[in-house]
Amino acid sequence: MIDPEKDLSLTVQELTNAYEELSLLYRISEVFSFLSIDEICSRIANEAINSLGVKTAAVLFVDEKGERLFTKISIGNWDRDMEIVRDNGVIWKSIETRRPSAYCRLKETGYDDYLSQLTSLMVCPLVGKVKVIGALVIADKETGEEFFSNDSKLLSAISAQAGLAIENALLYKELESLLLGAIRSLVKALEASSCWTAGHTERVTEYSIGIGRHMGLGSEVIEKLKISALLHDIGKIATPKEILNKNGKLDEDEWIEIKRHPALGAEILVELKQFKEIILSIKYHHEHWDGKNGIFGLKGEEIPLMARILSVADAFDAMTSDRPYRQMKSREDAIIEIERCSGTQFDPEVVNAFLLWVRGFTQLHQVSGF
Amino acid sequence: MSKVIVIDDEPFILMMIEDKLKKAKIDVITLRESRNAADVIRREKPDLVILDWMMPELSGIDLCRLLKKDPDMLNIPIFMLTAKGQDADEQLGLRCGVTRYITKPFSPKALLEMVQEVVGK
Repeated sequence: MIDPEKDLSLTVQELTNAYEELSLLYRISEVFSFLSIDEICSRIANEAINSLGVKTAAVLFVDEKGERLFTKISIGNWDRDMEIVRDNGVIWKSIETRRPSAYCRLKETGYDDYLSQLTSLMVCPLVGKVKVIGALVIADKETGEEFFSNDSKLLSAISAQAGLAIENALLYKELESLLLGAIRSLVKALEASSCWTAGHTERVTEYSIGIGRHMGLGSEVIEKLKISALLHDIGKIATPKEILNKNGKLDEDEWIEIKRHPALGAEILVELKQFKEIILSIKYHHEHWDGKNGIFGLKGEEIPLMARILSVADAFDAMTSDRPYRQMKSREDAIIEIERCSGTQFDPEVVNAFLLWVRGFTQLHQVSGF
Repeated sequence: MSKVIVIDDEPFILMMIEDKLKKAKIDVITLRESRNAADVIRREKPDLVILDWMMPELSGIDLCRLLKKDPDMLNIPIFMLTAKGQDADEQLGLRCGVTRYITKPFSPKALLEMVQEVVGK
């Protein structure tokens, strides 16, 4: 006998499950395109925990040789130092068959020794368009229940999105390093064409990182700062060589031309969507803290932090190197000048960090007889 | 038992929420039209109203404004459930007194948790 009431309730339940899946896909696909690999993995693990109501989730990556699995990110009851050598165990099996699989009562069935702390487990391979990336593992529902087929559907949905997103991010990273290599070559070419700026980029990079570290910035920001510093003068590619190499003072028109380089640099890089912050710090690295005499008239914290750091590093190197339009200053004079301009041209906090860095640096070199 | 009124012109959404909440022992009244909703709300005094934004005749946001003007009903929490995902929309919703702004497609499981936060388990 068909019970229409029961039938309807089942249909509604199925629709609800489908809708849950849809909302999940919507949520993750919306954010994945902006994130780094680590961020994606951490989102996946959290999403798995929340959507499936489990205590443990781990994202595992296959190593380069395809022989081991290591933990990229984990939440809950998971030994993240564990390496899983290719074997016939439950996790590798799922990767080889490229299908999700669920296991219950691990202790009783004695599947894998290394998972002895878990009771039930579900594994889903993370597959990109090109290759297998790893696996998403979840274990032990909060309710103590076993996994259902709908759980497998949800986990597959998360894994499918995640696999593609991670692969994209990996490809993007490769592309980024390729691009950075190309940009470095460009910077070298730029410096080679101007006798005055040789080594400038490298030194500004070193100074910026020194300041950034003394400000306590995280490694991700430092990495961005490094790229910003490497690229900060890239816009000078478009500045006429005669101006860059002019022996003597620049006239007003020539200054106007020179002052275009931050904006030009930003324009050159504009297509690199994930370089957004870097591009802004390049664009605004000649702004002044008090908003006066800068190129765009930005003021205080309107100027991105990385730009404020670049500004000090750039000025310090400019003062301590020979330039056609003025005499080189001694290091001490340059330090005094930067201190003097703290609060007007430069962000006082950046100047403080700069002073800490430059003093440590000077001491170090005095000790080593530099 | 807590009582929730759900107003949405999409029958599937109503069925889904009704099913989910009833299983969690919450009383549900569903309305497919917003036209007479204010009367029903005044009569039933629910613990929560879940409201779609885009509905014919009277939009969710207008109904929300109506409820917030009425001293008998202004304290009833309102969840806005909508496909309008822009930040500006959400800001407008919150300015009109919406307790929670939830964009479609939403997670039924998460919705239930949010409802339970407001009406108690």
